[in-house]
Amino acid sequence: MTADFRLFLNALKDVLSSRRIFIALFLMVLPAIIGLIWKSAAGERFEALESYNTLAAGLVFGFILTILSVIYGTGVLSQELEGRTIVYLLTRPIPRWRILLAKYLGAWLAITVTVSISEVLLALAMFGTKLSGVPLMSDIKIIPLGAAAYGALFLLLATLLSKPLSYGLLFAFGWESWVPSLPGGFSRWSIMAYLRTLAPHLQETAESTTATGGGGGGGDISEILMAFNPVSIPTITAWFAIPIITLVCLGLSLYFFSVREYSPKEEAS
Amino acid sequence: MNVDNTIHFEHVSRWYGQVIGLNDVSFTIPKGLTALLGPNGAGKSTMLKLVTGQIKPTTGGIAVLGEQPFSNPRVARSLGYCPEIDNFYEDMTGRQFVELMATLSGYKGQDKTQRVQNSIDRVGMSDRCDRKLGGYSKGMRQRIKVAQAIVHDPKVLVLDEPLNGLDPLGRRDMVNLYQQFAEEGMCVLISSHILYEVEQITDRILVMYKGRLLAQGGIRDIRKQIDSHPHRITLTTDNPRKLAGALLLDDTVISARMPQNNNRVVEVETAQPEKFYSNLADIILDGGFEVDVFQAPDNNLEAVFRYLVSA
Repeated sequence: MTADFRLFLNALKDVLSSRRIFIALFLMVLPAIIGLIWKSAAGERFEALESYNTLAAGLVFGFILTILSVIYGTGVLSQELEGRTIVYLLTRPIPRWRILLAKYLGAWLAITVTVSISEVLLALAMFGTKLSGVPLMSDIKIIPLGAAAYGALFLLLATLLSKPLSYGLLFAFGWESWVPSLPGGFSRWSIMAYLRTLAPHLQETAESTTATGGGGGGGDISEILMAFNPVSIPTITAWFAIPIITLVCLGLSLYFFSVREYSPKEEAS
Repeated sequence: MNVDNTIHFEHVSRWYGQVIGLNDVSFTIPKGLTALLGPNGAGKSTMLKLVTGQIKPTTGGIAVLGEQPFSNPRVARSLGYCPEIDNFYEDMTGRQFVELMATLSGYKGQDKTQRVQNSIDRVGMSDRCDRKLGGYSKGMRQRIKVAQAIVHDPKVLVLDEPLNGLDPLGRRDMVNLYQQFAEEGMCVLISSHILYEVEQITDRILVMYKGRLLAQGGIRDIRKQIDSHPHRITLTTDNPRKLAGALLLDDTVISARMPQNNNRVVEVETAQPEKFYSNLADIILDGGFEVDVFQAPDNNLEAVFRYLVSA
């Protein structure tokens, strides 16, 4: 087993640690449970596809993907720093960038699998086993892209900031909720806007929730703003933008991790 | 500054914001066992983190085995580090932890298995290495930290307070082990804030205080540097008054006095200890004194350290 693969496995193991696995399991089943409650409450008026799109956009992509990316993406580094075990990694004859890359890939896989399972369970709860015509596969295809982009961004925060989790949460639930709705092309500064471009039903849902007052997170003002500022990013731009965001953030993370000091605080003071 | 097989610091300073951790320090550590001595906050851990490439100097240059160590895998391949921190991947066993470190050092298969077992054997953890680290005593954790530090056969071994938490028997075993490493040709650097501990390990020391390197070399060499500092010797005899008189006639003696709380002791101060020692035998024999106890407390490390700090 190579050092890189061992680090990758260790990153997965960290993610599956007893404390975190319960959070992951809860997030996996949460959309399905809410969907079932919605289904039973709506009765005959229940629209499976609309409900699915709303929950996929608002809960799976708008919440679970982002929160897991924040936790796992920043956790790649901060867990080692807080546990002060980073000392053992940094004094081994392995380039620092390889340590971080292996751990990032472990986190990326964990985010992707968790969010994908969550999406599948939601689809099963909404449609049962009749999944033809359901945009499940298009969602499943963009989950790895979203996980890669968000994971790399939050990893970058972790390499640069002392409290990456707080800033990550601010970004995920502040910036990503509001910025796509702002006029003047601000949506181009949002990863979620690109993901919605690649899965148009999520975009439609986000726009339609303006009328219904539910869904992907902003609140009344952002809904009004979104109504005046429909997201119009070309699909081709989105296909390029997400990998570029991922590569830039990941590249910068690997660079900063190689040149900056990461010494446990208690010792440095 | 390309000194192989050594640790070399040249005018190294390290600041943490407005606080200085290390202040214009220069030294060379050759092969063998060297102790880094100083009280808590002296800058020992900063120095060791610089040696192990965890942090960079603010000014000055560092070479470990001829290369700068920060984020340098080539240096890390030849450098073992036992940190002071008591943190581990607690859910691993001792063996799994050492295996992980061996894997990260690039070893695989049978070679890795053999190395891990050898390291564990050397630190005396063979019978306990398959237990979870979370259940280890402090002493066992210290031993496993040393095992992970030597699993890749380093040329330079850096140990930060490695005797903390060990019982007297464990201390003796581990001190013997560090001395063996030095005899095998390793450059072993051990930090400690406990003076008597260092004296038992080696006589080659670096003395740190408030980020400065106060002295370096052998304990006796350092003592020699302190020429102006009177050297104290205590003699216990049946006739202290007569012995004090005889000693005062010797031109190497600055003073001789009898403490009030002990009427059998003479305390002598000399600025030329070597010459005094050679004269002392004649003085005792000529005067026919019976000397029961002879002590030179200023020869021990505590006295050297006390003097250097107060200087």
